Amino acid sequence: MSSALDSAAERFSLDRETLYRIGVYVVMYGLAFLFAIPLFRMFTLSMTPSDQLFGFSWIPGSITVQYWVEIFTGHDLIYRWIWNTLVISTITTTLVLIVDSTVAFALTRLDWPGKRVLFGIIIASFMVPPHVNIIPLFTLITQMGWTNSYWAIILPFTATPLGVFLLVQFFRDIPEELEESARMDGFSTFRIYAQIILPLSLSVITALALFMFVWSWNQYLWPLIVLNNDVAYTLPVGATTLQSVYADDANRLMAGLAVISLPLFVVFLLFQDKLISSVQMQAGTG
Amino acid sequence: MDVKSTTGDASGVTDWVDRETLHGYLFALPYVAVFSVFLLYPLLKGLYMSFFEWDLLQPAQSEFVGIENYVTLLSDPLFWKALKNTAWFVVLTVPSLLIVSMIIALGINRGIKGKKVLQFFYFVPYVMTVSIVGFLWLQLYASNGVFTVYLGRFVGGILTNQAFALPALSLLTVWWQAGFYFAVLLASRQNVPERLYEAAQLDGAGPWRQFWDITLPQMKNAIIFVLIAGTVFQFQVFGQVETMTSGGPNEATITLVYYLYQLGFKTFDLGYGAAVGYVILLILIGVSVLNYAIVGQGVDE
Repeated sequence: MSSALDSAAERFSLDRETLYRIGVYVVMYGLAFLFAIPLFRMFTLSMTPSDQLFGFSWIPGSITVQYWVEIFTGHDLIYRWIWNTLVISTITTTLVLIVDSTVAFALTRLDWPGKRVLFGIIIASFMVPPHVNIIPLFTLITQMGWTNSYWAIILPFTATPLGVFLLVQFFRDIPEELEESARMDGFSTFRIYAQIILPLSLSVITALALFMFVWSWNQYLWPLIVLNNDVAYTLPVGATTLQSVYADDANRLMAGLAVISLPLFVVFLLFQDKLISSVQMQAGTG
Repeated sequence: MDVKSTTGDASGVTDWVDRETLHGYLFALPYVAVFSVFLLYPLLKGLYMSFFEWDLLQPAQSEFVGIENYVTLLSDPLFWKALKNTAWFVVLTVPSLLIVSMIIALGINRGIKGKKVLQFFYFVPYVMTVSIVGFLWLQLYASNGVFTVYLGRFVGGILTNQAFALPALSLLTVWWQAGFYFAVLLASRQNVPERLYEAAQLDGAGPWRQFWDITLPQMKNAIIFVLIAGTVFQFQVFGQVETMTSGGPNEATITLVYYLYQLGFKTFDLGYGAAVGYVILLILIGVSVLNYAIVGQGVDE
């Protein structure tokens, strides 16, 4: 009798469990569907012939790749923008890794007067949001005659406290013994940094690199200010040129936006998990 | 110590200590140099500039005006409007981001089928540049855009409506940024020990109880991170405004950083702009301190 009741209860709870699972699926797929709409519109509009643009339809009556071809063949500037963005992001990432890892090494593995003060200052600089400084920074860049140059975009945001903080946390946990035995073997400080600490920190370094690369690639406000020559533009700033040229040509504009989004979509597809974990790492910095 | 320093061995030690100090400075130097020139110096110069009516072309000709820029700011209706809009934007955006990314994180954590594909669609907007996002959503909000087609009869032209323009920017910001916060929350959820849930199930706690009694308290640090980082980041909203509304209609979407940008690079009011920049900095520091104070209390409990 009681076992019959038990199994009835079990069946009931099983049903509730199933219902619950269905609910989760509906919410998750429904939300993903909503999230996909903007991208779906970007790609379909970019292939919609101009005579079908006036009304609204989810799926155009006919599609064409004409506008993609136009963007790829008719806009040499886009290749220039890709190149500029690639160079800037690569150099920024490299420099960030160098200056952040050396100072993090000095802060964790070496003992010298003033290191606590410096670490305190770096932590405090977390509070200074990069964009409140743009006016004095701009006067500095103009004084140096760097307008429209790569360095104007690269150097101002090279000293990122975020990277130092992440690396300090990681370096601190590397056991002393490795370093001590290396010193016994006559390793110089630089060799300890380059051949022991860095290789052991590869996971955190690649995550930081990936995050900085995407961040630098997507910078908008600062390049908008220091670049005023379309040959020097990065992709995010170049998008404004596409917008002003194709303001009334939704299909061409969407094709252009899709094309200039492609490089990072590829990076994302290749490194999806790594990129996500690079974001997750930051929560540890509080 | 004294004994050691007299022995021959110890001179090697002191020599080493000096060398370690030297190496410490050398390794810290690149960061300190870049930090001083591009962060510290502009920070101080901004303070200096804010006491002048700054002349862009001939800085030496700038006129010292004392605290006049700060006085002007107090009675500048655009500044207050921008502050109000920014605060409203943060209030609209940050809680929505938290809720949406929390739903996504908890859903993904259930190990449903097609997890990878779902994760792709949730995260991919985050790798897009704000200008591309802005121009894309400008199309969605246009008269033949998907938004207007379905919701136009209720809200009309959403970006030309003073009441709806800012919430419209907030909506796309949630779409654009949710991936970041979802990733953070997912990691945190995965760190919650499963045995807590097993124990709760034995006690007969339903999903809702488990969420309130286990999931939320256990994910507290990540939630706090989302709130603080989200507030500081969304407070600096700029690209959406610049690409989509230029602060309009009728200054309904002008935000602090956008106002700062206009002062510095459209009207070239550099001294006043520097003052506005400083006030934004102070507000943000205030917000952070307040956040930490509140959070600190929460952690003590």
